[in-house]
Amino acid sequence: MRNEAAYIFSPEQLQYKFHNDHPFNQHRLSITNDLLTKVGALSPDSIIPARKASVEELLLIHDEDYVQAVIGATEGQIRSSYKTTYGIGTEDTPVFPFMHDAAAWLVGGTLEAVDQVFENDYKHALNLGGGLHHGFKGKASGFCIYNDSSIAIAYIRKKYDARVLYVDTDAHHGDGVQWAFYNDPDVCTLSFHESGRFLFPGTGHVNERGHGEGYGYSFNIPFEAFTEDESWLEAYKTAMREVVDYFKPDVIITQNGADAHYYDPLTHLCGSMQLFHEIPKMAHELAHEYCHGKWIAVGGGGYDIWRVVPRAWALLWLEMSDQTAVTQQNIPESWLDQWKEESPVQLPNIWTDPKGMYPQIPRQKEIEKKNERTLIKSLKPIYDQKNTIIKKI
Amino acid sequence: MIVRDIMKDQLIVSHKDMTICDALDLMKKHRIRHLPIVNDSNEIIGIVSDRDLRDASPSIFDDQHKQFINLPVSKVMIDDVITAMPRDFVEEAANIMVEQQISCLPVEEDDILVGIITETDLLNTLVKLTGADLPTSRLEIEVSNESGQLSDVSNIIKEHKINIQSVLVYPSFHDPSRKILVFRIQSIDLRPLLKTLKQRNYQIIWPTELEMKT
Repeated sequence: MRNEAAYIFSPEQLQYKFHNDHPFNQHRLSITNDLLTKVGALSPDSIIPARKASVEELLLIHDEDYVQAVIGATEGQIRSSYKTTYGIGTEDTPVFPFMHDAAAWLVGGTLEAVDQVFENDYKHALNLGGGLHHGFKGKASGFCIYNDSSIAIAYIRKKYDARVLYVDTDAHHGDGVQWAFYNDPDVCTLSFHESGRFLFPGTGHVNERGHGEGYGYSFNIPFEAFTEDESWLEAYKTAMREVVDYFKPDVIITQNGADAHYYDPLTHLCGSMQLFHEIPKMAHELAHEYCHGKWIAVGGGGYDIWRVVPRAWALLWLEMSDQTAVTQQNIPESWLDQWKEESPVQLPNIWTDPKGMYPQIPRQKEIEKKNERTLIKSLKPIYDQKNTIIKKI
Repeated sequence: MIVRDIMKDQLIVSHKDMTICDALDLMKKHRIRHLPIVNDSNEIIGIVSDRDLRDASPSIFDDQHKQFINLPVSKVMIDDVITAMPRDFVEEAANIMVEQQISCLPVEEDDILVGIITETDLLNTLVKLTGADLPTSRLEIEVSNESGQLSDVSNIIKEHKINIQSVLVYPSFHDPSRKILVFRIQSIDLRPLLKTLKQRNYQIIWPTELEMKT
């Protein structure tokens, strides 16, 4: 049987590196690739290389002066005004050598994934180097320079005229992508994240529903801090099914930030590895049900690069390529041996997390109740529409 | 911040002869709850809310009095309209709305209707004032109620080269000798800053993991 899924990666994507102590670390791509290779789920010769996005492609979303500023910064021309105007040279997004090139390779990976699905009859494609959802059209933000998902969506609209559902399960709100298509009724965004009251970037309220013709095509499910698997997954499964059925997309793009996990140092959610088993499963299922299988997945945040990201992203590929059976086995010794010296924490040897990983949360019931309400509020327009239809019948 | 900065100046208005029925349709179409009534020179002569109009409409069970819906809005409008002026401070306008228990203020300049502010505009302003509409993280600190505290904390934020989007300072609800500082700051990773604040013994309310350990 021909593989239905394409795995996109190029070593150039590893160059997206601010400095050694920076939390956004694409070393996680190497660690994940190695895990997949060692479980026998990815052969190096089946990897499809990324490409470098052209300036023209970047301009599908970004402003010309911003792209020129990034190129300029790459060549060492940095002005202090860049910090406030373009968000580069800040502590979050410092300047690094070849930053334009590295960022353009991440974008090109996602564009390559799109082309593989629309032209090379792969049903699914994965670019773990992508998912930089905070990039704005004229400004870098939250570790993100160019917004690969926004560019890929604009590219799909222009080249293939397909209606796109963008689903974002990063712990941070997918603000850059949401605002890029806020007025567009042919692009629907759905973001699950820790509430902006607790976490960067602060937006992603239920009432951000789109504007003008795009009103009704932006959905947000903000979770309380310390939300656990069960509550998170209930909202995810319900909202995914409802929104896909309401919007009926031609293709689904999922952003798979792996920072909703308890171990993640930047966020305050209490997810376990179970989230990362379930998230891609549902996306996969719905893509087959509604989009002839068309599903493009990208990476995103994820700052525990040893215990969380490699397993979470490996699970995404295993689901996409129908190889989840390997998770019945322990994680290979050879992978543990490869990285144990370098890892500052004990590496996990199974695909799930132990019970009691974190202490009992005193406000658990209240948190669950609040999340249930948020879910209902977020989906209200869909429920209202259904009720009207039922009444008419 | 003054009323002119936050008011809506694209206005939906009606004349006094419009029927209750048409006025209700107009408000429904534009999703508004208040309709100023103006004369030919655009001076405000009254205002109606959707509730005033519904109160004046016959019950859906009442077939006998259907004609009421065709009465002009002038029959039900409030004609001593409380208004604001464009240069009023926003907090002053908010105060009037609370005092008079109204949820909308038409804005007049030289007797001409030039804008309107509603509860929604005030809430949006609050969201903006607290900086939550731009990519920022929230930092909340409790300090003693004495001079220099805000400056000290701001300085530490500056040391970390982080831009402050907004600051809110208010007395603690539990302890009058304490103050709460709420910042929205432009950074996704607060850890280095939090480390410094902890080293200098600041009481950090958010972000915290304390909740889980109690």
